[in-house]
Amino acid sequence: MKSESLSNLQSILDKGDFAVTSECGPPRGADPEIIRKKGELLKGYVDAVNVTDNQTAIVRMSSIAACAHLVQLGLEPVMQMVTRDRNRIALQSDILGAYSLGIKNILCLSGDHQTFGSQPDAMNVFDIDSMNLVNMVKNMKTEGKDMSGFDLKSPPKMFIGAAANPFADPFEYRIIRLAKKIDAGADFIQTQCVYNMDRFKEWMRLAREEGLTEKTHILAGVTPLKSERMAKYMASKVAGMDVPESLIKRMGDVPKEKAAEEGIRICVETIAGLREIKGVHGIHIMAIEWEEKVGPIVEAAGLSPRPQAA
Amino acid sequence: MKKKLKPKITVFHCINAINNCESLPIPYKDTFKLKSVKMACSSMVKDAFLLRAFEAGSDAVIVFVCPEGQCRYVEGNIRAKNRVNWVKNLLDEIEIGGRRLSIHNIANGDTEAAVRIIRQVLADINELGPNPARH
Amino acid sequence: MIVGKQKPIAEIKEIISPYKKVLVLGCGTCVKTCFAGGEDEVATLSSALRLSCKKEGKDIYIEELTVERQCEDEFIREAAIAISKNSAVLSLACGAGVQAIARRFGDVPVLPGVNTTFIGVLEKQGLFTEECLGCGDCKLAAFGGICPVTRCAKKLQNGPCGGSQNGICEVNPDTECAWQQIITRLGNLGQLDNLKKYNPPKDWRPSHAGGPRKLVREDHFI
Ligand code: SF4
Ligand code: SF4
Repeated sequence: MKSESLSNLQSILDKGDFAVTSECGPPRGADPEIIRKKGELLKGYVDAVNVTDNQTAIVRMSSIAACAHLVQLGLEPVMQMVTRDRNRIALQSDILGAYSLGIKNILCLSGDHQTFGSQPDAMNVFDIDSMNLVNMVKNMKTEGKDMSGFDLKSPPKMFIGAAANPFADPFEYRIIRLAKKIDAGADFIQTQCVYNMDRFKEWMRLAREEGLTEKTHILAGVTPLKSERMAKYMASKVAGMDVPESLIKRMGDVPKEKAAEEGIRICVETIAGLREIKGVHGIHIMAIEWEEKVGPIVEAAGLSPRPQAA
Repeated sequence: MKKKLKPKITVFHCINAINNCESLPIPYKDTFKLKSVKMACSSMVKDAFLLRAFEAGSDAVIVFVCPEGQCRYVEGNIRAKNRVNWVKNLLDEIEIGGRRLSIHNIANGDTEAAVRIIRQVLADINELGPNPARH
Repeated sequence: MIVGKQKPIAEIKEIISPYKKVLVLGCGTCVKTCFAGGEDEVATLSSALRLSCKKEGKDIYIEELTVERQCEDEFIREAAIAISKNSAVLSLACGAGVQAIARRFGDVPVLPGVNTTFIGVLEKQGLFTEECLGCGDCKLAAFGGICPVTRCAKKLQNGPCGGSQNGICEVNPDTECAWQQIITRLGNLGQLDNLKKYNPPKDWRPSHAGGPRKLVREDHFI
């Protein structure tokens, strides 16, 4: 087992290279082919692929299994893990299992509330929160202990990620929360999709002022818009999303058949803008059910080819 | 054949709206029964009282209250209205029919309006049939 | 107080349907305050049940009684005679009251007429809100007196989540985000530093996770 070696994502970030990650949602079924196909589309264009964990509280192939399929393909996964569905016992055991399968990155989340999903009648867990989860994985790595203080044989050494939403309220508190996540052990941060560049810059400025960009790697999230409708939907229906009016207009001003192209152009421009911001160490492209566009976006943004892992 | 029952109405009224319902000049008084319950303020009407009037065989129940803003006890008539709406839902739930219960604002001593409303309710009962829990 | 809501009449009719003589038993404490099972609700429900059964031609005898508190034996005993005359009890108390009756009267079926919902407060006339889950290890001092265990839909100890917007919880547009409230309140109290503290995983042993709980006060044993 060569799991003692660093994750690809970590070595790229540690070297000071600009990282590119993307996302892949497991299927609502047991067919591994679907995950492999998505993986093939992303291969070579990204440094690591986030695999969602029953996103929007809809039952899908488990994140761990889907990650393991990607590992077999030679892709590096970032296993997302939510505290909604598992208590601390299950979370820890799954982290041990995941690491044994060659999964080296984790993104710690609380998770979408089950009332949004297809089984709103479910009970949730929320035994611990995402902050606690970050801290737990860190203690496994640095102390080699599980939550009970037990010395683990071969403790997992995950590269630990956490999420941040620069656009949610209350704005000033968002930086305190970011600092707290970093203190708890977050090696890298993936943000909510950036559409409102001004607000994001302001958030980054505050993060720099607090010295946070020295302590963690911030990967800015982007999601290409497919249509004006999608832009409007994101603006009004998705909690914690900030899509400025001007962008919605820009999507609406082009003919319908050109909208997707325009969305990709906006995305590429956004990436260019993000690269200019001091402290942004990478981007996280969330092209939901649009994985085939990730390659072209990375190429157009001049981020291809990807550096070879050390 | 079953003898046709005389329609029965119970009127709950605030004495500030109508002083006396039994003496109202309603035509064909012998073709129906009218029971009246006087209250010092319409807020004294309780859910259970309204339901008990139906238990006692009423085909319809009327509540007369003062016009809004004119309750002597400030908001008694508003409370009464909320309760009546609550009980109407309950009557629908048990399939007796919320339409059998109604509330009306009556200006002090406007007997004409009271008579008109009672006649209308009698016409409604004709259409709705007797209280289904009246055997 | 304990807040509860009367069950739909159709459901109540269903659960009392095997019985011909039913005592509708109210409780004059919490459930009275939230209009679920006090004397007035006992009267209204009994009347509605009688009307409904009569309409359907069903024979039923319904007796009404309300005691001060169904969760205390001293008051429950007052219901003994009425209970002995009926074939079942429909209790309009909270779940604790229903079980206290069942415990005392071993051979009488005791049925719940109320859905017990939460520990809460009367926020304003006609509005009750949930405030406490009885976690057994109260940390309100750290949160400016606002409970994230109860009032945050994700029980976050280090919130808020990314969905909090304009003070509203992402889970329900009718609910305020508890974490926004905590932050505002800590600001007013000059205790914003509390937010920087890492709150470790909660110890759930004193909560219901440890099984049904007991409070023992030996000084009150006789
Ligand atoms: S911290 Fe526990 S005891 Fe205190 S209000 Fe919240 S749930 Fe209740
Ligand atoms: S929006 Fe606020 S109350 Fe709702 S789940 Fe998130 S942090 Fe909790």
